[in-house]
Formats: sequence, C-alpha cells, structure tokens
Amino acid sequence: MSRLRSHHRNIAWLVAAMFWLLAYSSGAGASTKSYNLEAILVADGVWVVAGSTENFSKTNGGNILNTGFIETGEGVVVIDTGPSRRYGEEFRALIESHTSEPIVKVLITHHHPDHAFGSQAFEPNTLYMLDESASLLEQDGEAFSDNMYRMIGDWMRGTEVTVPMNRVQPGLLSLGSRQLRLIAMQGHTGADLVVLDEASGVLFASDMVFFNRSLTTPQTPGLALWRSEIRQLAQLPFSLVVPGHGPVIQDDRAFLQMIDYLTWLDDVLAGSAARGLSASEVIDTAIPERFSEVEGARYELVRTVSHLYADYEKRALNRH
Amino acid sequence: MRRYWLCAFTLFASASWADLPSDPLGSPLWVYNIERYLGQDITLVVDERVGLSVPDFAEDSTQVPLAVNLREFPHKVMKVVTWVDMNPVPHLFTANSTDGQLKLVSLNFRVQQASSVRAAVLDEQGVWHIDSGYVDAAGGGCTAPREVLNNSDWENEFGTLKTGLFSDRGNTRIKASLLHPMDSGMVGNVPAFFVGDVEVRNEASDNLLLTMTLAESAAENPMFVFEFEGGIPHLSIHMKDNNGYQFEGAIGEASP
Repeated sequence: MSRLRSHHRNIAWLVAAMFWLLAYSSGAGASTKSYNLEAILVADGVWVVAGSTENFSKTNGGNILNTGFIETGEGVVVIDTGPSRRYGEEFRALIESHTSEPIVKVLITHHHPDHAFGSQAFEPNTLYMLDESASLLEQDGEAFSDNMYRMIGDWMRGTEVTVPMNRVQPGLLSLGSRQLRLIAMQGHTGADLVVLDEASGVLFASDMVFFNRSLTTPQTPGLALWRSEIRQLAQLPFSLVVPGHGPVIQDDRAFLQMIDYLTWLDDVLAGSAARGLSASEVIDTAIPERFSEVEGARYELVRTVSHLYADYEKRALNRH
Repeated sequence: MRRYWLCAFTLFASASWADLPSDPLGSPLWVYNIERYLGQDITLVVDERVGLSVPDFAEDSTQVPLAVNLREFPHKVMKVVTWVDMNPVPHLFTANSTDGQLKLVSLNFRVQQASSVRAAVLDEQGVWHIDSGYVDAAGGGCTAPREVLNNSDWENEFGTLKTGLFSDRGNTRIKASLLHPMDSGMVGNVPAFFVGDVEVRNEASDNLLLTMTLAESAAENPMFVFEFEGGIPHLSIHMKDNNGYQFEGAIGEASP
C-alpha cells in the first residue's frame, strides 16, 4: 500500500515537472521570438528595413517585405507597418532608436496584410491610407487576418485589423526639409500608393514593384494596366528603387524585369486560352530560364492562374 | 462468443478489400470511397498514366482546377470517375466515354478542407486504373456563399453558355463555360440548384461521344474541357439542371 502511494507521488512529481518544463519552454519561446529588424541608411535621413523574398511562413513570421522611414526635420514619415502587431512594435522601437524626431505620418501603401497589419503599434492619428485602400481593408481585412493566423501562427498574436483613420491624397507632401511626391496607382491591388522623396530620389515603389521575387496578382485590375504604370514609374527622377519585395536597386532593372514578367504572364494566359488549355495545364507552363532569379515563380503562377485565367478563357470563347 | 463473432467480422471485412492496392497517400477514406463510387469486387490498379492533375494548394477553395489527361493512357477509356475524399459529398463527376475516345476531361471543384483527390478510369477490359493527388486548402469551399449573387446582373447572365472548338495534334478539344450557381444545397436557406447532366454529340453522325453526371463537389460557373481522339468538325453540347433548365449549343469548325 505504501509502495503504491509513493509510486503515485512520484508520478505526480513527474507530471508537475513536465508541465513546468512545457510552460517554461513555450514561455521562453514566445519571449525570444523577434524579427531582428535592422534599418539601412540608403540616403541622408532615408532608411530601409529589408525583409526576405520568401513566402509567408512560421519561420519568417511574415517578414518578407521592405518597409522604410524618412526623417524630415519636422517628424518622421513611415512607409508601411509590416505583417503583425509584433513587427509594428519592433519597427517603431527601431525607428525611435535611430532618430529623436517624432513619428508624424505613417503611410500604408495598400491594404495587403504584410504591409498594413503592424499599424496597431503606431498612434491612430498618424495612420494614413488612400481612400480606396481603406475601403478594401474594411472589406478584406478579416479574411486576410484569418489567413495570416493560418500561415504565420503565433507571430500574429494580438494583431487586429486596423483601418487608418486618416486619408492621404495624391500630390506633394511638404514636411520640414522634404518634398514627398505621393502617387496613386492601381496595378497591384486597385489602389497602390508610391512615394518619391524628391531630395534624395529614393522611390518607395511598394508592391507596384517586385524585384527577383514573383509578383502577386490576387487583386490586380489587369496585367496590361500594371505594365503601363511600371512604364510611368520608370520615367520618374529616381536614384534608388525600394521594391515592396526584393532587394533595393539603383538602376531600372527592377522595372525592366517587371515589364518582362508581366508581358510573359499576359502572353502565357492569352496564348493558353487561344489554344483551349485547361487551368491545370497552364499551371504546368515552363518558366523561362531568364526568370530563374525570380523567387516563387511557380507558386505564384498557380495563384495567378486561379485569379486571372477564367477571364482570359471566357474572352476566347463564343457566346451562344 | 462475442469475441469469435468480432474475429469473424474482422476477417470478412479484411477479405473484402484484401485485393485493393494500398493507398499511396494513406487516406482513411481510400477503401470506403472506392467501394462507394466504383463498387465492390472490382479489379483496381494504381496507375499514373490516368494523368490526374490538381494544384498542390487551393488558392481559391471554391474553384480548384482538375484535369484528367489520358494522352499517355494505353487503353480505351470507358468511364472516368473523380472524387475529393474529405468533401461532405466527395463525388465530383462520372463521365462515360461511349466510344472510348476520351483523351482529356477537366472541371473545377470545391474543396472543404485539405484533401486527397482521385480519378479512376475504367478500361475496355473492365479494369479500374486510379491516380491520386493532394490539395492543401484553407477550405470552406463547399459551404461558401455563391459569388454569382454579388453580380448585380446575374439574372440576365444566368445560363450564358460560351463554347470553343480547338484542334491539337490531330485531336478535337471543346471548351464550354456556363454561368450557373451550382448550388450544392449545403449553404443555409439555399436549395440545391445545379447542372446534373451533360452530353456531347458528334453533330455529323449524331453519335453520343460523352455523357457526364455532376455531383456536389462541382464548382460554380463550370468550365468544361473535353478532348476526343481524332478530328470532329461539328459537335454539340447539352446540359440540364435539376430545375428543368436546359442549355445547349452547337460547336463548329475547329480553329487552326
């Protein structure tokens, strides 16, 4: 009998120890989770925080995009807030470690979750977005949020969809020593903000431009429109392009790759529809060797066929 | 005594599927759905030449592309049956190829959760050949509200049939798109309303080339693709839904 009791006591201790270990290790895991963001000075007072070119994963926590901030002398302008509350908080701390100027304007370039989900970390009255982008975020935000929790898991902890309270208008934004040219485009989501710092020539192209990373098409109004807007961007007096995804670049190679890639995609979809191919066959289309540096091309082709091919198919058929 | 019965039952149950090959994807629904859609006491082989193609993941759970590309299949094709194992009603379609000349069939499906997908083909000797794929998905496709209602003009657009005829390497391919909600009956307060039967004929000979029955896994606004061996200059397609609406169109002269 007493042996049995001591046996029970041992088990109780073992269970307690296991719970303690579990609690301790998961607690430690959560507190060490960090994006380890670094700001790179690309021009006087202009900073870029570069992410990877991967897809969303529980390893990268959604840090797959480029954000940035600009010191104006009368406050900091922030460009995009990242994929989660945690990113936003780390990003804000990073900005405050590099400048003593207050954050006065946070521009969210478009409504996609990787660019707009860190907004909780900033003062609500500093958040700005294009009117149409705000409507899209109202409409799609919760669905994006569900999907983000599925894809990056615990990195999303505490993140809630935050629609900016202020609207931004295209045109010149003068602040301190800076003139920021704000340009409204449509190619990527139907409402995409591009920011050119006229003094330095740094162009924050956001997701209008992907470089060495396959572009994504879930909300594009059309590949041809997107391509024509890339041609407009290429005319701007830029010295450095900060794409939404992929490395920063000083010449027009990102624009040329975008035009080439958009043209190829459009041709594949139109050509396949003209031949009567099914969506399954288009997904298997060979990706040209010249796009070997474009990460995620096959994955994004599967997505693009899902987003766009049905319209190409219907245009290639005759109505009865 | 009860234990003996249990043993006997186990033996009997295992005997009935002892002849089936094991599932390459290890789904618990392998035997159940094979018996449900192909019947018991069948001869079945795992065969990649069935050419089932589905994407690795569903970008849109309400529209997942599927094709069965039988160009490498060395036998006549008498019947093609497809299903999505984990869907509430797994069956997608059964296509009867009346003259055995079917070379490709493609149709989008809905997916309710990540699932194995199967295509089984019956050859002229009565042997079933099965190929499998796996689609990862956020899911919910079977119980998502239809999108057609979001279009203001859907009553005018309803039933719009568009077709095309294509020739490829000597074969004849047709494509037909129908605007139809394909309500599965699984969304609250929306009764089942879907196209259940499709027929394709050779217009010149009036021979039936294909009959197809569709089931709940079929996606909204179906886009059918069929390819038949050889050149067939004039075909027609005919569809019927469960409310008695009929949709038909003649499909002429293949584009070069």
